[in-house]
Amino acid sequence: MNLTDREVLELNELCGAVVDGTLTDAQRARLAGWLGESEEARRFYVRALGQSASLHTYASELHAEAPDVSLPPVRFQNLQRLALWWGTVLSAAAALVLGLWFANRPTTVQAAPARELVARLTGSKNSQWATGSFRPGDRIEKNQKLELTAGLAEITFDSGARVVLEGPASLDVNSAWDGTLRRGTLKANVPPQAIGFRISNSAVEVVDLGTEFSMIADGKGAAEVLVLKGEVEAAPRGSDAGTILLRENEARRFAASGVSDVSDRQEKFQQLTQEPLLDRFAPAINYVHWSFDETTGDLLKADAAGQRLAANDARLSASAPAALAASHATGHRARALHFDGQLFARANYPGVSGSSPRTVAFWVKVPDGANTDAWMVSWGTNVKKLSSRPVQISWNRRPGEGSFGALRTDFGGGYAIGTHDLRDGQWHHVAVFFAAGDEAAAPVQVRQYVDGRLESSAITLTPGKSSNSPLTGDAATLDVVWLGCRLTGKQPERFRGELDELFIADRGLEPNEIVSLMNDNRLPVPTLAAVR
Amino acid sequence: MEKNPLHETDSRKRLMMLMTRHQRQIFAYIYTLVPDRHDAEDLLQETSLVICEKFDDFTPGTDFVAWACQIAWWRIRYSRQKFARAKVVFDDEVFAAVARTAGEMAIELDERHEALAGCLKKLPARDRELVLTRYEPGSGVAEAARRSGRSMEAAYKALNRLRKLLHDCVTHQLTHPEAHA
Repeated sequence: MNLTDREVLELNELCGAVVDGTLTDAQRARLAGWLGESEEARRFYVRALGQSASLHTYASELHAEAPDVSLPPVRFQNLQRLALWWGTVLSAAAALVLGLWFANRPTTVQAAPARELVARLTGSKNSQWATGSFRPGDRIEKNQKLELTAGLAEITFDSGARVVLEGPASLDVNSAWDGTLRRGTLKANVPPQAIGFRISNSAVEVVDLGTEFSMIADGKGAAEVLVLKGEVEAAPRGSDAGTILLRENEARRFAASGVSDVSDRQEKFQQLTQEPLLDRFAPAINYVHWSFDETTGDLLKADAAGQRLAANDARLSASAPAALAASHATGHRARALHFDGQLFARANYPGVSGSSPRTVAFWVKVPDGANTDAWMVSWGTNVKKLSSRPVQISWNRRPGEGSFGALRTDFGGGYAIGTHDLRDGQWHHVAVFFAAGDEAAAPVQVRQYVDGRLESSAITLTPGKSSNSPLTGDAATLDVVWLGCRLTGKQPERFRGELDELFIADRGLEPNEIVSLMNDNRLPVPTLAAVR
Repeated sequence: MEKNPLHETDSRKRLMMLMTRHQRQIFAYIYTLVPDRHDAEDLLQETSLVICEKFDDFTPGTDFVAWACQIAWWRIRYSRQKFARAKVVFDDEVFAAVARTAGEMAIELDERHEALAGCLKKLPARDRELVLTRYEPGSGVAEAARRSGRSMEAAYKALNRLRKLLHDCVTHQLTHPEAHA
């Protein structure tokens, strides 16, 4: 018997439910009946499940690296026993084959919850709030509910998506990538690096594919979606209707009764294309830049907006003159610093060891398939809440804690890990915002951007984890930025790869500033804070 | 009778080679019957040990995957008695029927695995990222939803759509290889 298209779709859904562990009793009975009776259904099932097994394998291969020996998971200990046993029966190579297969298993990390700031109020006009008061520049927490009773408010999510809310309106900020509009009118502008940003309510969920769109929620379960530029994926909620792709100048109304056209859509489009004038927050900035464009010697000159900053110059330290000569390589822009696994550099940076926020941005090239020498930029701290431990930016070598090879920032009491494997021999733009927070209760904030896209804003806290012994020697020196070396650990560990165009700014850069830095290698000229 | 050390060395090498080459196929067979990554990996581990113990019983030149899958089948049957009821998807009769079909399709599954790599490359980057995140070690649908900025509901829908798309692409690639050369 041949399966009909409809049956194939249903079987596909049932197989998906088996794989994802969401099979209901009714679905189980339906599937069992099918598999018991139909050879064709069984063959489809085996192909579908076999495909998932293959996807597990392919996804694992992307992460395939032996785990760090310091990881203590139970499963790994069992595997070590197995590997030892295989070692006696077979050969070390055979044990390695099995070991590599199993090494991809996840390990459990006990993560303590941490407060997370995910957006900022970046503009307003005559805004009135139901509770409290917000001013441009204020940060917004994950899951914070905003009740705008009148006026306009612009919220910039850390993903780069910008939303203008027109009061009266109610918006839940769920994360840097996701908001829920309960009622009112919202207009979203989503730059390419924030593709995937999502606005939902009880009637519809809109995933942005790089565009400008508006949502008008009536607060009674219906919402209208109007696309001003680009396209969006709109998925009606609570119905079996599939996802609808809406393109420029298209609009739909979503309600429990179904999907329909928007009445008076022309008028609404006309209103929405008018840009409101907002009072915007323009934060002050100071920064230092190292171009690494030198072709010889150990001096690396510092500047800011074209002004030399000799006090911040960096010095290279190499094991031999030949290594020093080889450290000036072709860069992403002009020249770059080539690190050979031994070379390192240091630069004075007064204030970097304190609790003030910083953004560290640079281009990095990590060799394809690298498995050691991960340490890019570090600085010591004298901050009590960080146990005076350093902040260190590297790529992740611990697959049990996150994606292997992804951008990682360690600090006293926790770490953050991104998603993109940097070890591909290509240049990537990295920007890390780090803020210890002045007050004891203030959360430590780490936001990591790779190639302009936010990769992580959450941190994993590791309270009570025994820290290494206090820093000694040069590594204990404060107000120094170290390039290409690790400040903790018994053995010196360095970086292998290339760094170019390092900027260190004294505040969190806005997502659009990070993109501008990536594209144009420029930050705004240092200014004073203002609302303009 | 004492074992010949030379014969034993050859035997080890052969076993190592066969396991290296076919481990993935054995995993796919197990996963088809026990669709949970961790359980399937545990069973692969147990099966590998039995294969090693019983390798002298294997007749060179015969189908190693079929022989290994038989061993895996008995390990799975044994483990089904230990599984919580929630983990046992089907009753014994359906389970045995699926196992028979899976055993017969080992070669096809291997061909599909190879073809799948090409089909994954054809997916738009955003879709490929969603699928691979879902199947990444330590990840799942929730993580894939979070990273792609989708709700759980939307992620489930998208994954089902993409799995079907990949299934069709692989089938087309195997039946029309000239179109994918």
